[in-house]
Amino acid sequence: MNVFNRWLARFLPEDEYGVDDASGMNKRYKKFRLSLLTTMLTISMLPATITAAIGYFQYRDLLQTTEKEQLLWNLEGAQKTMQALINELHSSIEFVVREDRCDEILDQDTLDTMLIRLKLKYNGFVDLGVIDSRGIQLTYSGPYKLRGYNYRVQEWFDQVQSHGFYVSNVFLGYRNIPHFVLAVSKKRPDSEDYWVLRATINADTLQNFISTINTKASDDIFIVSRTGKLQTSSHFFGNAMEYCPICETSSPIHEIFKLEGGMGDVLQVSAPLENTPWMLVLVKEKYIHQAAWSSFRQRLLLIFLGCSAACLVISYSLSTMLTNRIRETDEKRQSLLTEAEHSNKLASIGRLAAGVAHEINNPLAIIDQKSGLMQDLLGLTEDFKYKDKFYTSIAGIQNGVGRCKAITHRLLGFARRMDVILEEIKLNELIQEVLNFLEKEAMYNRIHVELHFQEDLPTIYCDRGQLQQIFLNIINNAIDAIGKDGLIEITTKLQESDVTVRIKDSGPGIPPNILKHIFDPFFTTKAPGKGTGLGLSITYGLVKKLGGDITVNSEVGKGATFEIRLPVKPDKSAKES
Amino acid sequence: MSEIKVLIVDDEVEFASTLAERLELRDITAETVNNGKDALSTILVRPPDVVILDLKMPDLSGLEVLHGIKAHDPSIEVIMLTGHGSTSSGIEGMERGAFDYIMKPIDLDLLLEKINQAYEQRITAGKQP
Repeated sequence: MNVFNRWLARFLPEDEYGVDDASGMNKRYKKFRLSLLTTMLTISMLPATITAAIGYFQYRDLLQTTEKEQLLWNLEGAQKTMQALINELHSSIEFVVREDRCDEILDQDTLDTMLIRLKLKYNGFVDLGVIDSRGIQLTYSGPYKLRGYNYRVQEWFDQVQSHGFYVSNVFLGYRNIPHFVLAVSKKRPDSEDYWVLRATINADTLQNFISTINTKASDDIFIVSRTGKLQTSSHFFGNAMEYCPICETSSPIHEIFKLEGGMGDVLQVSAPLENTPWMLVLVKEKYIHQAAWSSFRQRLLLIFLGCSAACLVISYSLSTMLTNRIRETDEKRQSLLTEAEHSNKLASIGRLAAGVAHEINNPLAIIDQKSGLMQDLLGLTEDFKYKDKFYTSIAGIQNGVGRCKAITHRLLGFARRMDVILEEIKLNELIQEVLNFLEKEAMYNRIHVELHFQEDLPTIYCDRGQLQQIFLNIINNAIDAIGKDGLIEITTKLQESDVTVRIKDSGPGIPPNILKHIFDPFFTTKAPGKGTGLGLSITYGLVKKLGGDITVNSEVGKGATFEIRLPVKPDKSAKES
Repeated sequence: MSEIKVLIVDDEVEFASTLAERLELRDITAETVNNGKDALSTILVRPPDVVILDLKMPDLSGLEVLHGIKAHDPSIEVIMLTGHGSTSSGIEGMERGAFDYIMKPIDLDLLLEKINQAYEQRITAGKQP
């Protein structure tokens, strides 16, 4: 949980008192939204991507395995067929060299007949020769004059003698036509000597045969020697007798590789043909690009894209919504904090003011009494030179005391818990009454008062005296602000369950730095002695006490507008505070 | 003898003495004490007609002294001096038997009027029983 919190704190917009400039906060929220979006996308997309990837590879493997099995199965079939061909060739030769026939086929005519018979069966037979154990060809039937040719030194001769059967690789030989040699050795029944029958067969036989087993399952089928020489022509690797480096192997293989110049991967499987030096090879191209695979990929891509789009839309709207919510909450909290701070400040200043007022009140009472006594005594004294001066001085003291008294009374009034006496009040009438007090002053200063009263304003339950003080203070301030020649507009209106009174003056307006402090006690812009700086702070306190609210809007050069909002029926807290 | 006897109870010595002097100049016998204890002991020895009683004092508060005075002699009238311009504490004093209250700094003429009213009340109340 701790780790989570720390992680969360890293990208949540920090709550800094210092940062109150809008662009800084905006940047912060933007960053937060981006982080949130990234995180949500990661969280939602990661499993989807992993699942898609697993599905992709799993299905590909499955398809590969299936196809490989299919190809191996084909290979097995082809291998059997080829094996059958070789066995048949073998047995044909074997038939010729039955033990008792040795002397028979030494006869040229017999051998010729044999060759004709074999040719009838397999067109590829070219020649036949009988060789004795010394390697000398005793009889030969075929197109060349090879009688008496000595094969003693040739490798195949040793091999056929020791194994009894031999199949050579395809080679060109004298004739320059691809062919291979089939040889069988037999022991003479009457001696220890061997004799060998050698047959040459054109490679066409192999080629023709392999062409018949070309299946649809593979793209290429061919025979290759263990040294990599092609025995039959290959679709991919060239004609017979050419060298195929990839095919050079002596053990069964199945592998996947990239074919040069080909289309993608190629699967190749091979198996040895028994009793021959050959490998049978099957190759399948584009083995993965089947309909099943491509449609699977399309569907997977479609689903994945759909998921991604949904995730993106949801994440985007969620993160935007969340950020907006947080921003709103932050702003609300910030404004509440500011308000609380302000009323707190006012309250503490109020308490301080009350303390000061109370402390000053006592010495003030003493000064008041002493000057009164002096006045009394002066009245009992005969005339003397400066008696009048004394009188005026005492009057001056008492005037000063009177002003102090007014201040302390207002200060105390600001702080004390006043009893609110609720009564039905017609606000329009009350404002008219207050205006009656100020009529003369406004008239002297040529200030016109315009009234925009909502006629059917409901009666409100409020304290008459305090309301009078509130409007007196604000209208008086407006008159002071205008000085001479101007307009005061007073508007009353019902808004929801509140009555609002807007008092707009055409004065010089209030600069923003002063606007901030306008409800602070002792804050005044009037000349010393002219104002106490308490009028608006008292007004503020009174409005709050009555359960209402007061706001001020002003711009330099555009006058000031005070808006007082009062509930039609105050809640309980208004009565107590 | 119709001279009104007033006892001024206030911890501010200068205030009390000056007020007493000014009342004396207006033919009112005024005595001063500076705490609640002295006030309660003085009314036993020289019972006044009217007590001018400060609400806020160290030791015994104005309301406590008011209670003591009324317990001793309910016919002695008390005018409360409220220091903190609040009517509520003055009203509280009146609910507990004070004749009236007056705010500091006081208007002497208003005080004289209240003293006379209080005195008259005491006289009529004294005659009744």
